[in-house]
Amino acid sequence: MMLLFDVAPGISASPSEENMRYFNVMILGPTQSPYEGGVFKLELFLPEEYPMAAPKVRFLTKIYHPNIDKLGRICLDILKDKWSPALQIRTVLLSIQALLSAPNPDDPLSDNIAKHWKANEAEAVETAKEWTRLYASGA
Amino acid sequence: MGSSAGSSVVVPRNFRLLEELERGEKGIGDGTVSYGMDDGDDIYMRSWTGTIIGPHNSVHEGRIYQLKLFCDKDYPEKPPSVRFHSRINMTCVNHETGVVEPKKFSMLANWQREYTMESILTQLKKEMAAPHNRKLVQPPEGTFF
Repeated sequence: MMLLFDVAPGISASPSEENMRYFNVMILGPTQSPYEGGVFKLELFLPEEYPMAAPKVRFLTKIYHPNIDKLGRICLDILKDKWSPALQIRTVLLSIQALLSAPNPDDPLSDNIAKHWKANEAEAVETAKEWTRLYASGA
Repeated sequence: MGSSAGSSVVVPRNFRLLEELERGEKGIGDGTVSYGMDDGDDIYMRSWTGTIIGPHNSVHEGRIYQLKLFCDKDYPEKPPSVRFHSRINMTCVNHETGVVEPKKFSMLANWQREYTMESILTQLKKEMAAPHNRKLVQPPEGTFF
């Protein structure tokens, strides 16, 4: 299996020592997003059906985002019905990074956060920044 | 690449528990065993509550039993700790604490990675209907350890 370290700017992934299908992933919060300055830890697993089925990915770092739930599960089409075996792990991680830049409250996984986002985006963004400082400072 | 050991894919702890969570949310079989996570904020998904509806042809019939399951960091390599919250009189359950004692419940003593919280609850339900358990005098319903 390919070893991935620097996947793309601001994204790294390394396989766990015990399980080559299991990766520790780090994504830096994109600039100009409420997550800027944050270091987000994720975990990624290639299930037995991969590449016919999508990798499984979730956030381990708490994050305030309408498409990510309390358990770090991510609502992203290419992780579900839009998955194609032609997609790479790199594409998946880049898409997750892009999701941080473009939260989509119209297709939410966290109803409360999505409501907040639609009712008062400026305030929701402030909460997201606050959570980034609290939980994703990387310290 | 080139590995032929296709069946040896090991699902890591957290993804395994996410699978169990999703299965539990969908509902299992006839609904006589079920489980769910206690703290929706716990990213490591450690504490769970299980429910068993007592099996037919036993003193447990129709009773609802609540259990606590705790999946530590070494789950599923190691079994979860399991204890009854609802009082029950059963050979494998400690009378003081409600703990399901691995020595007397072989599924925990001979734990295998493929076993799940569902398989534990299902096995405990079978155990309730076993000859050595199904006629034991029970504490009043709705009392807790």
